[in-house]
Amino acid sequence: MTTAGAFVEVELVRPRVVAAGPAARPVWWRRLLRALPPYLYLTPALVLLVVWTYRPLAQTFQLSFHSWNLLPTSPITEVGFDNYTRLLDTPDLGAALWRTLVVILGMLPFTLVIPVLVGLLSRRVRGRAGAVYRAMVFAPMLVAPVAGAAVWQWLLDPTAGVVDKVVGSPINWLHEAGPAQIAIIVITGWHIVGFAVLVVSAGLTGINPDYAAAAGVDGASRAQVTRWITLPLLSPTMAFLVLMTVLLSAQWTFPLIDTLTQGGPSGSTTNIYYLLWDYGFHSYDAGLGAAAGVLFFVGFVVLASGLVLLSDRLSHHDD
Amino acid sequence: MTAAAVVSPVDDEAVGESGRARSIAGHVVLTLLSVACVFPIYWLYATSLRAPEDVYSLSVLPWPLSLENYADAFAKTDMVGMLVNTTVMAVLTALGQLLVALLAAYAFAAWRFRFQKLLYLMFVGTWLVPFQVTMLPNYVLLSRLDLLDTLAGVIIPTLCSAMGVLLLRQHLMGFPKELLDAARMDGRSSWGILWTVVVPTLRPVLAALGILLAITAWNEYFWPALVLRRGNDVVQLGLRSFMGTEGNDWGPLMATAGLTCLPVFLLYLVLQRHIVNAFVRSGLK
Repeated sequence: MTTAGAFVEVELVRPRVVAAGPAARPVWWRRLLRALPPYLYLTPALVLLVVWTYRPLAQTFQLSFHSWNLLPTSPITEVGFDNYTRLLDTPDLGAALWRTLVVILGMLPFTLVIPVLVGLLSRRVRGRAGAVYRAMVFAPMLVAPVAGAAVWQWLLDPTAGVVDKVVGSPINWLHEAGPAQIAIIVITGWHIVGFAVLVVSAGLTGINPDYAAAAGVDGASRAQVTRWITLPLLSPTMAFLVLMTVLLSAQWTFPLIDTLTQGGPSGSTTNIYYLLWDYGFHSYDAGLGAAAGVLFFVGFVVLASGLVLLSDRLSHHDD
Repeated sequence: MTAAAVVSPVDDEAVGESGRARSIAGHVVLTLLSVACVFPIYWLYATSLRAPEDVYSLSVLPWPLSLENYADAFAKTDMVGMLVNTTVMAVLTALGQLLVALLAAYAFAAWRFRFQKLLYLMFVGTWLVPFQVTMLPNYVLLSRLDLLDTLAGVIIPTLCSAMGVLLLRQHLMGFPKELLDAARMDGRSSWGILWTVVVPTLRPVLAALGILLAITAWNEYFWPALVLRRGNDVVQLGLRSFMGTEGNDWGPLMATAGLTCLPVFLLYLVLQRHIVNAFVRSGLK
């Protein structure tokens, strides 16, 4: 795979090199020139990637063993594993992890359950009506998170908001611990549900209808076809949605938390991302933030590779 | 579309009553979901168009219509300046990301080279690096480069869109090799081939991706909030500061939020199908 096309060329040229003797340098030069283009085309992207993703990742790792308050003038002192022990001693991290898990679980109805149900029920809706539905369902995805936060703050307002008027009780959604978490999950779900529905319906259209037809000829009921043919063939799509939910849920909630609750009331919406932000830019404790970042990144990699392996095993590919 | 026709043996065997019921169920479910999705957006614009004394009204139709909230929003914030800044930021970001991604994808698709797999994995790997893990060192680097509080500081760190690279690579892999070979036979350089053969053929994909990237940049909140500490230079930040200070002045707030979303929605009205396809095909940023 990695053998370059250029190498074939080099082998053809080599005999001439031997014959020419001192002409070795131009050939070496030509060989380099031939191998160079792909790297040149990759250079801008790679430089950006290294400078803005992998360098900071390494630096975060390094910083996690130091103590620093973010001021350029103040010293950076080495503290060994101090940040990590401090981190594991505070109850913050465990609580934030737990809340992150709650957010992920709370998002699954929006990213998996509703989309699959709607997708299955609406397979027959096509044509112009289908296009209109798609356009409407997808619209929230385009609303900027901050604008979404503003509207929902208005909808959830305890004195004049529509939601409380409809529910009939004055719940102060964004200032009570439980409701605040629910509100964050629902608003994020609102943003994302249309996207997930479209992903599922794209997955459903990709399924070869011959299987269902064959099962129908064999006398399978509609429910049986759904359970034993459609859903298994949809499993790669569903695996993708689960992976997306696990990896990105907490990230999607971030702008909402920052604009609506600032992690409160009393920390009840502080998930792991908000905690990282808080350590770095509110407490100015760069080392602690970095240590949390490293732990989080490692956990992330383990979780993601686990999920990918699992989905590879569970997915039924339509070959 | 053909799928619908072929699926008939199973679906339409018992057509008539049950088939129609099923179709109606589909419409009902989709209508409910659509209303739930669109209502907040509708309410945003409805509130923004009410007269200031009617803002608390619960009537579904905003009547009489009034633009006073918008006038208020323009008076209280530098809306025009922010919209211009945000447009510049979004367009430059999208163009830069497109160019960088196109070059990288071209390299991956048109050559086989040493470390190709490894380099490719470096792009895929960015999915695993959450933004919040890299933000501190990036912030420090920006401050050393003296780019804090500038639009350049917002744009430059985001210029490599791994999603763009992966998406374009996928499209380029499906590109007929004969075409590239023929152009090479003609003695054209790889650079010439890129611009005379690849780009023209790829134009629809590039357009869709460009719009997707511009919308994403327009809506971005986290990174601009970090870099533009003091100013309210882009609409998302202006909106946030509005929320902080005048949280209960709902009319102008909704007008500002409405203006923040308006360009994206106008684009969406014109290019609806392309935008949806671009989003779905890309997975998610």
